[in-house]
Amino acid sequence: MKTEFPKIGTIIKHEYLIKVRSKGFIISTLLGPLIMVAFLGIVAFIGYISQDSTEKKIAILDYTGKIGNQLIAIDSVKYTLTSEKEKLLENQVKDNKIDGFLVIWENFLETGRADLTTSGGGSLGLIGNLDSDLSKILRHQRLLDAGITEGVIKLVNKGADIQTRKLTKEGAQKDYAEVFAILGYVLGFGIYILMFMYGSFVMRSVIEEKANRIVEIIASSARPFEIMFGKVVGVGAVGLTQVLFWVLISPLFFMGAEKVINIIMKPEDLMQGMQMAQAQGSMQMAQAQAMLPKGFEMPHISPWLGVGFIFYFLSGYFIFSSLFAAVGSAVDQESDAQQLMTPVSLLIVIPMLFIPYLMTNPDNTLSIVLSLFPYFSPMLMMVRISATNVPFWQVALSVVLLVACFFFTLWIAAKVYRVGILMYGKKPSFKDIIKWLRVA
Amino acid sequence: MEILKIQSITKKFGTHFAVNGVSFSVEKGSIFGLLGPNGAGKTTTLRMMTNVLMPDSGTIEIFGVPAGYATQDRIGYLPEERGLYKKIKVIDQLIYFGQLKGMSRGDATIKAKYWLKRLDAGDWEKKKIQELSKGMAQKVQFISTILHSPDLLILDEPFSGFDPVNAELLKKIIIDMKEEGKTIILSTHVMEQVEQLCDNICLIDTGRVILSGNVRTIKSGYGRDTVLLEFEGDDSFLDGFSNLSFINRTKNRVEFRLLDSTIKSNDILAEALKYVKIFRYDVVEPSLNEIFIDTVTHNINNIKNENNNGVSNINAEANKEGGAK
Repeated sequence: MKTEFPKIGTIIKHEYLIKVRSKGFIISTLLGPLIMVAFLGIVAFIGYISQDSTEKKIAILDYTGKIGNQLIAIDSVKYTLTSEKEKLLENQVKDNKIDGFLVIWENFLETGRADLTTSGGGSLGLIGNLDSDLSKILRHQRLLDAGITEGVIKLVNKGADIQTRKLTKEGAQKDYAEVFAILGYVLGFGIYILMFMYGSFVMRSVIEEKANRIVEIIASSARPFEIMFGKVVGVGAVGLTQVLFWVLISPLFFMGAEKVINIIMKPEDLMQGMQMAQAQGSMQMAQAQAMLPKGFEMPHISPWLGVGFIFYFLSGYFIFSSLFAAVGSAVDQESDAQQLMTPVSLLIVIPMLFIPYLMTNPDNTLSIVLSLFPYFSPMLMMVRISATNVPFWQVALSVVLLVACFFFTLWIAAKVYRVGILMYGKKPSFKDIIKWLRVA
Repeated sequence: MEILKIQSITKKFGTHFAVNGVSFSVEKGSIFGLLGPNGAGKTTTLRMMTNVLMPDSGTIEIFGVPAGYATQDRIGYLPEERGLYKKIKVIDQLIYFGQLKGMSRGDATIKAKYWLKRLDAGDWEKKKIQELSKGMAQKVQFISTILHSPDLLILDEPFSGFDPVNAELLKKIIIDMKEEGKTIILSTHVMEQVEQLCDNICLIDTGRVILSGNVRTIKSGYGRDTVLLEFEGDDSFLDGFSNLSFINRTKNRVEFRLLDSTIKSNDILAEALKYVKIFRYDVVEPSLNEIFIDTVTHNINNIKNENNNGVSNINAEANKEGGAK
């Protein structure tokens, strides 16, 4: 390497230093975590608002005369007994004096029917709480009415308790699988963003050198392969610097986030909010959940996941930034790059679309095949590694394929680059580029 | 000793021959002019020397070895299209280009400072290119070409963008380098500079060599067949002569060549005395500029005749074109 490609070191260093010293890099590195904190804050805040039902005032119009008291026994702040007429209560809701009222019909014990009227249609959280409170009371009351003594009920409830705990445990296990699937999504998505971001850095850098006509001077001093490889590695090192910086300051960032979250809300609210979010299928919230420092027990994450992330990020970045560089070399200015970018973008976007499928079916044949295809591998294998136990041979095969694919892509890209950098004026078509491949 | 030896190189872009069987060689320690009209294939030839492009066929030997990545470090190339990083400081830029030519960082720094000082540009060290004027940037560019004291200097239109004072400074540096034993290849359209600086030239057009050799020999080979006439009056009498080729024809000054030996310049002078008041009548060697135009025009005619035999008025047309220049 040293004697064959003596200029690579110089080029890498140059590319690295000009980027790292630039204002843009410093600002984005420092602001990145702040934006993340702000983002998390907003997510937490939304979760908090949607959980607001504890603060709500619900009037209970109880025609049975037995149930209302028990509700108040559960939460005397939220629930108040009333004997007003429904019409009057409706007016109170309209005037915002109360948030809603619940009518428990006389035959509630038989039918279980109760009607809730609220000002805002009633949030999911409120209904959920009310439902569970009422069900508990209903069961208890029905058992009592059937002549079962308190002692027996306690006994039954005790049994139910054991069962609940089991359920909780099961639920926790299920949660873990979900967390890992979601983590896979987040990591795959992270690779997607980083590949695009740093890939376009490489492209812009190539276009800049071409537009400023520096490229001929460089091309008369080093091999096209050296120039491209140096650029790709230099910018990649910039990306790694940024990611490492973020990883290193992340403890601070989590501590800060924890403080902020704890100031805003109580941990149990948070739990509920997050579960709600998950129920609604909101990915961002789930993402926030995966990062929560408290109120949620994080499953143990294997360090191999981190190693995998870095490997798949780097290999994906290397492959796509070579393609980005080739595209950059073929055009005179960034706005001309669009047409040639399309196929490259497709190679990045298509696996993106498959991520949800792989999250839920990480082990079926289609998923395995897709995750081994080297252009999709960086994102999709990452998702699978997180979501399931990928057999070793598959990981090994993907590594081999990726390395081979990288050198193949770089070889092709260097050919396009070699011809492209000296072509000015005409916007080349794919036909032209294929011709270049034959010429070079 | 030949430092550069090019043998029948060819370069094709699509179906178009940019360079078609060009051969020439350059002596060590000389200044060599590579001339030709726009689109003749000069830049392509220079790019093949610097290994930015590779010839489809033929060979290029530099310093006795085939041109390749190994020879790049000993060449300083100033491309016609200048380019520097706009946002990088002058000194950092020079150091980077020096390192790309295989210099150590320290060495490149010392040399960069030396040359900046010598070109009265010492104060710009810490400035970014975007803060400099075009002429200043040209100086920096020139320094980047000679920083690693290359044995072979390839300069494409080196004087463009320089004011006369700086152009002189540059000329002096080029001559100094020649005296140090370096070889310089100059590609330019400004024939005066070629006459002042070059020992040998090679004129290429449409991808082929159409004239090459020692500047002195070429000029004397043309003989004294150019007439310069300054006068007052009506010059329409000149239209009576059929074998004149006008180089310049303005109100009070006309320059033309005698196309064959049947016309004597004395006959024209005799005729002129009848019609106009003469201030100056000179019979001289053609300038390199005229040789350039003449040779290129002839080449165009030859190609046209090859393609389309028997078109008679092309000669006159081509001459008119030549004259307009």
